[in-house]
Amino acid sequence: MKYARQVLRKHVNIIIVFISILLFNFTPAVFAADIGNCLLCHKYPGISRVDENGDLRLFYVNEDIFNNSVHAKVNCEGCHTDIKKVPHDPAKKVDCLIECHITEPSTETKFSHKDAEFFLANSVHSTKDKDGNPKQFAEDMPTCKNCHDNPLYRPLSFFKKVRYGVSEASLGRCRVCHKKDEFIYRFYNHVTTRLHKSRNPLNIAEVCARCHNNPEIVARHNLSTKAVYSYGETFHGKAARFLDERIPDCLDCHVRKGESVHQMLANDNPLSSTHKDNRSKICTNMDCHPSATPKFATYSVHAEFNKTQSPVQYYFTFFFIVLTGGTLLPLMGIIFLDCIRRLFPHAVIKRRK
Amino acid sequence: MKSMLMKLYILGFAALSIFFMIIIWKVTFAHVIEEYHERQEVLEALDVEKENEEAPAKTTFQKIILDSEETVKHYLGYKVLEEKRIKGHFHHIGMDIGPDQRSYCVECHGDMPHDQIKDLRAFLNMHAFFIGCQTCHVKLEGEEQTGEFRWYDRRTGVIIPSPVAFEEPGTYKSKIIPFESVNGQPTRIDSDERISFAREFRETKDALTEAQSTKAKKLIHKIVSKQPYVCEDCHNTKAPVLPLEKLGYPKERIDSILSTEVVGLIKNYTKFYMPRMLHPGDKSEKESEQNLTPDIKKNKKPLTITKID
Repeated sequence: MKYARQVLRKHVNIIIVFISILLFNFTPAVFAADIGNCLLCHKYPGISRVDENGDLRLFYVNEDIFNNSVHAKVNCEGCHTDIKKVPHDPAKKVDCLIECHITEPSTETKFSHKDAEFFLANSVHSTKDKDGNPKQFAEDMPTCKNCHDNPLYRPLSFFKKVRYGVSEASLGRCRVCHKKDEFIYRFYNHVTTRLHKSRNPLNIAEVCARCHNNPEIVARHNLSTKAVYSYGETFHGKAARFLDERIPDCLDCHVRKGESVHQMLANDNPLSSTHKDNRSKICTNMDCHPSATPKFATYSVHAEFNKTQSPVQYYFTFFFIVLTGGTLLPLMGIIFLDCIRRLFPHAVIKRRK
Repeated sequence: MKSMLMKLYILGFAALSIFFMIIIWKVTFAHVIEEYHERQEVLEALDVEKENEEAPAKTTFQKIILDSEETVKHYLGYKVLEEKRIKGHFHHIGMDIGPDQRSYCVECHGDMPHDQIKDLRAFLNMHAFFIGCQTCHVKLEGEEQTGEFRWYDRRTGVIIPSPVAFEEPGTYKSKIIPFESVNGQPTRIDSDERISFAREFRETKDALTEAQSTKAKKLIHKIVSKQPYVCEDCHNTKAPVLPLEKLGYPKERIDSILSTEVVGLIKNYTKFYMPRMLHPGDKSEKESEQNLTPDIKKNKKPLTITKID
């Protein structure tokens, strides 16, 4: 016993360090909001059924992914408000605009996405026209879940250099004042995710493409282009395909700086960022091409390689494709044949007698 | 030597010119051709989508999630989350579970076969995700009974060791299947003979007469019990049907499965329905109909009811 005490005293520092490492390494970076123990059932991927319309209803919630989402702190019943008991009756559709239990700290009022509804109603994606009458094909207009799934954290580290992920060094600084790791991780993830785009440019383009690349929707609404397809043809679109985060995506051009992304306006609206009088401001903003002239923004961003939509661009591009291929391919062929001749200077193809 | 080096240099140059030819071809003419085909594919996909809308096929979990090629990649910077995209689904699923290639039941009944009882259907489908149909719907008795249940791989159908210790609950890429005694030997109940008979029936059923079809269905469903095992048969501490320990469940998982929380939840559900299609030609339909609840009667689906309590 005495010996054990001596060993303990001798190695107390090592033990403290070991326990600290254990504590810090195994501190959960995620925070469960499952107070109602909903995951008792909903953690199973197969929990599903076919609804009355013959559509699949999947009730599975991946806990790990959910806990790394911006809604991690919201309890299940925060959104699924009609569920008061377990087992519960078939749940109603979630209303994203309800007030949830979280308090918005700047006003100390209940948090809600209600403003998004207002912005959307005044945007080009509104289901009603200026006079308040339902638009034609209003059913094509997006609702929350057409564009949003559960947003996931995309934390950034700024400690020595900017990189993705959580900076352990920064967390150490947080821990000087804040004592709860749950709070620290959540706050860090929330703030750093909000300091940049919560979605990669390619992901944003993919979301818009669901409607704006659909030829039927494009035709129904008389849109001039399959917007994401033509975006993909530009330098910006190609860089986005290589997952470049600095490249402008749909929202960078189609939303006025400082406004909600839900407040997207039609091109002919003078307040729109893409109105012909405002277009140059998009390109020349501080983050993109600050020294560009207004003329820089006059090119057709959404020109397709399509005879009908953009005949000038089509023939111009086609000419250059033919010129490039038609010149360089024979040139390479001649170089290759020349190499063969140099390798076999005396070779002849015998003619049949 | 000098001549040899020169030849190697020329050979390298020739190879380089071919390499450049390929690159130039790809960025010029091949690019135009590729784009043309891409557009055609989009138009074809739209046509297929339209056809599907006109004649909706039976919704299956496999078709929409497990077999779906429509995936979405979330580029989070520090990692990429790739998952199947389910239209209008808010929560992320992030799972990779292959379809059940072994089960011959799902080929007719679908992989979400339970749809009658509002309270239970999702729970039963959830269990069907990692429990073979025969585990509940076949009650082996007498000499046939072995009490043996094992896991099989969903993709290959091969019997495998328990996955429970290595995977999250319910996310197993395998299912439990009972073993019956054949000539004193424990044999898996979904034998190759049964599978080939069911598949042959499915392929030739249009050419069969009604009597032949009914007979074949009876043979296929011969092993199916009139009353399946119900939740409480497994979720009880006294004598659960499934030997959870032998199936590789650790003690804490067994405690959870048999906990008062789960058992209490089950007690709130009392009604179980057996679809008549599992007993083709059953004459007890009239007797059963007397027990039907009003909403089931309205649907006029011939069912047999078993009430637990």
